[in-house]
Amino acid sequence: MKRVNPDLWAGLIFIVTGGAAVVLSRSYEMGTAARMGPAYFPTVLGLLLVLLGLMVAVRSFWQAGGEAPRFHFRPLLLILGSVVLFGVLLERLGLIPTTILTVVLSRWASREFKGKEVAILVAVLSLLAAGLFVYGLSLPLRLWPELWRY
Amino acid sequence: MSGMLGNLALGFGAALSPLNLLYAFFGALVGTLIGVLPGLGPIATIAMLLPVSYGLEPLTALIMLAGIFYGAQYGGSTTAILVNIPGESSSVVTCLDGYALARKGRAGPALGIAALSSLFAGFVATFIIALFGPVLAEWALKFGPAEYFSLMVLGLVAAVVLAHGSLLKAVAMVVLGLLLGLIGTDVNSGTMRFTFDLYALSDGIDFVVVAMGLFGFAEIISNLEQTSERQILAPKIQGVLPTWDDFRQCWKAVLRGTALGSFLGILPGGGATLSSFAAYTLEKKVARDPSRFGEGAIEGVAGPEAANNAGAQTSFIPLLTLGIPSNAVMALMLGAMTIHGITPGPQVMSEQPVLFWGMIASMLIGNLMLVLLNLPLISIWVRLLSVPYRLLYPAILLLCGIGIYSIKGNSFDVFLAAGFGLLGYVFRKLDCEPAPLLLGLILGPMMEEYLRRAMLLSQGNAAVFFTRPISLAMLLAAAVLLLLIVVPAVRTNREKAFQG
Amino acid sequence: MKRAFRIPVAVVVLAVVVLSVTGVGLAKDDYPAKPVRMIVAFSPGGATDIIARIVSQKLSERLGQPVVVENKPGATGIIGTEMVAKSPADGYTLLMVTAGTHAINASLYSKLPYDPVKDFTHVVWVANAPNVLVVNASNPINSVKELIEAAKKKPGQLTFGSAGSGSTLHLAGELFKSMAGVDIVHVPYKGGAPAMTDLLGGQIAMMFDSISQAVPHINAGKLKALGVTSATRSLALPNIPTIAEAGVPGYEAMAWFGVVAPAKLPKPILDKLNKEINVVLQLPEVVDRLRELGTEPVGGSPAKFTAHVEAEVAKWAKVVKESGAQVN
Repeated sequence: MKRVNPDLWAGLIFIVTGGAAVVLSRSYEMGTAARMGPAYFPTVLGLLLVLLGLMVAVRSFWQAGGEAPRFHFRPLLLILGSVVLFGVLLERLGLIPTTILTVVLSRWASREFKGKEVAILVAVLSLLAAGLFVYGLSLPLRLWPELWRY
Repeated sequence: MSGMLGNLALGFGAALSPLNLLYAFFGALVGTLIGVLPGLGPIATIAMLLPVSYGLEPLTALIMLAGIFYGAQYGGSTTAILVNIPGESSSVVTCLDGYALARKGRAGPALGIAALSSLFAGFVATFIIALFGPVLAEWALKFGPAEYFSLMVLGLVAAVVLAHGSLLKAVAMVVLGLLLGLIGTDVNSGTMRFTFDLYALSDGIDFVVVAMGLFGFAEIISNLEQTSERQILAPKIQGVLPTWDDFRQCWKAVLRGTALGSFLGILPGGGATLSSFAAYTLEKKVARDPSRFGEGAIEGVAGPEAANNAGAQTSFIPLLTLGIPSNAVMALMLGAMTIHGITPGPQVMSEQPVLFWGMIASMLIGNLMLVLLNLPLISIWVRLLSVPYRLLYPAILLLCGIGIYSIKGNSFDVFLAAGFGLLGYVFRKLDCEPAPLLLGLILGPMMEEYLRRAMLLSQGNAAVFFTRPISLAMLLAAAVLLLLIVVPAVRTNREKAFQG
Repeated sequence: MKRAFRIPVAVVVLAVVVLSVTGVGLAKDDYPAKPVRMIVAFSPGGATDIIARIVSQKLSERLGQPVVVENKPGATGIIGTEMVAKSPADGYTLLMVTAGTHAINASLYSKLPYDPVKDFTHVVWVANAPNVLVVNASNPINSVKELIEAAKKKPGQLTFGSAGSGSTLHLAGELFKSMAGVDIVHVPYKGGAPAMTDLLGGQIAMMFDSISQAVPHINAGKLKALGVTSATRSLALPNIPTIAEAGVPGYEAMAWFGVVAPAKLPKPILDKLNKEINVVLQLPEVVDRLRELGTEPVGGSPAKFTAHVEAEVAKWAKVVKESGAQVN
């Protein structure tokens, strides 16, 4: 398979985001150079980004870039998934159940998953999180779901 | 001069009471510990401990809060060096070379140099406050929107130097950052831009959210790509304390950083945020071998850390002499003063000299205490790195999550950070460096704000940027810097083309 | 590959199950049986936050349960206010509101996610905060009358700074413009402090500012106060005329603060909270601290506060409409 130059992809990302900024700005007022409206600055920046993206992309055809990117989906999905899970659960389940679930899920991203070790890690981190943030710093976080509240 | 010594003596008399010393220590300790936690920067920490300060004497309360401020600032650098997570804007550049040093097993020297540079800069900046505070504050008022805009342009040009790969991509990343910075309510018209009708986006994207995603989460993901545990961070620890070589290499950087930071910190309109970036750029430009930067150059830690601490210190000047808070932390300090019935302003110095000079004396004490506290901690931090990564990263992840949530008490930011984690990972794969993007993110809204305000005040006459001398000088400096960057880059490109 | 994802899938399934089970909470007993949250929809250290902390500290003592201030800042207070509007009306979630969240936003934002009147139980009007019109000391203008003359001579050339588009300070200026019939350019800032910096530096001509921020500079001779925005003179600046007496009859533009709870708060809880906060507002210590902030404690019945909110919503709607201040 032919090597895909990372610069080509980078250039495309810049072109798309720059273009999006220009298009989205059209719903705001443009104004004039003397009295700039909210659309003025982002439109100029968006066009500039499209231009830069084009330069990066075009250059990639004759200038050898780095290695073709290889994405590893397992750590990507599991790490970001556990961050999202943390956000979803924290307000609903409270800190301790959230910690347990997040740590177990994120821990699965690494190859060496040993049940006993993970159990200890979960216990230590739950205590640490509760002790540090809720008791130590008195952050307004619930430890347990509403149901547990006596 | 003798007047100042007398004043300082008065200040030390007040600040050296056992109770005040105790609270200075407590503040520095708590600040350091919380600052080390990703996401919980000085703002969150001071806000949390504000109620604690109610029961204290005003001076004691302010000494404690100021201690938290220095401590958290320093603690943030620790996280940057150890795990590549910048807790706030000033530690972004500390990540670049600090983390590179840590990966080489030199986390100890990096932490040590960071502490000592900060101490030196803190001392110098405190004397600047004591000697010239009021004069400098008056001078800083000359900075109108036109001057600030030109300063931002200069900062923007400097941002490009942060990257050590492709110049073109670095420029594109800066522009992308500027655009991301515009998300939220437009200051001039009140229009919500690029918010997709989400109120959670109306104040823009918090810096910490972007930094944790691009640096922290992306770093964890790419570390986990490696197939075997051993490849992930198990550097042989080479010494816990800096060597004489390190000192020789970076003392000039510390001096330059201190000067630059002290100057920028005085400007109430956002100078302090630029100080560490500016110092890094300066070091990379004056270095004989700029290619070392990003690979673990100790000057790349020393200069910015000195600048950062000097700037943090001198940003007290507008607050203490004019009663104007120049950033969110200073606004909290102002709130604390108000709670204690002190109205900050020009009269504090004459009406409450014990408070004013006691505060200044406590800055010297606080900085010293911070170093005494942190030097022994270094060996603990370094040992933390020998914990197997498979145990370390879930902890980092959890702390980041709690930290991000606590910024606004809102889960939305957590999701956003996950999104930036994805973006950061993709950019890594495409050899696009995140540091210029972050500087763009900080500069974007300020730059637009100052540009439009300058145009509004000059009734649409763009000549203001060139007719006001300070503004003109800064634009000229930006032009020179741009030439310095572009000319060598073009030359190497041409050479590459001929070779290829 | 399939096996690799078994545990993560299990974790997610478990999470969903637990979530669906724990949707319901229990709350009974005599009020208050547990800590009460007082939400502040702004950042810590600001005026709203400080007032909430002063009140909550004493209210804790009266109620025998901690009243904890929680900051939920964002979108000029919309995020925190919306959160409280959607909270259960059990008396355990209170909100410190301002003229911004409960009067101005209603006409500024067409898609405001809450109704300041219908979605809340108005507990008590806590304090009023008059603003003051200030110019740089080097400015030749000495009074409101001179200011109006100067503005009429040079329409669109004088400038006034504010803490942002749609802030109380901005609309105080817009009200002044429309009542005095002058054209002054509005220059918005991100908060009052940077605007003050530019006023001191002579970049802008004037500003409506909170009394607490302006007084030190007035006393230091760096700023001149032309008039206060309340109907009667302020205790903090007894020698400064009101704008109404100085040349714009009927002018009044004040910031204010109050405590609200979600709509349909049970009557016994409402009465208890109103009674206790009124007691707190009369404590000499609280009165002193509120006055230091340039505010004047108010107090009174829930009905009085509701009437005030309704009147303010109507008043600012008119100013916003006339000024053409637009937000989404």
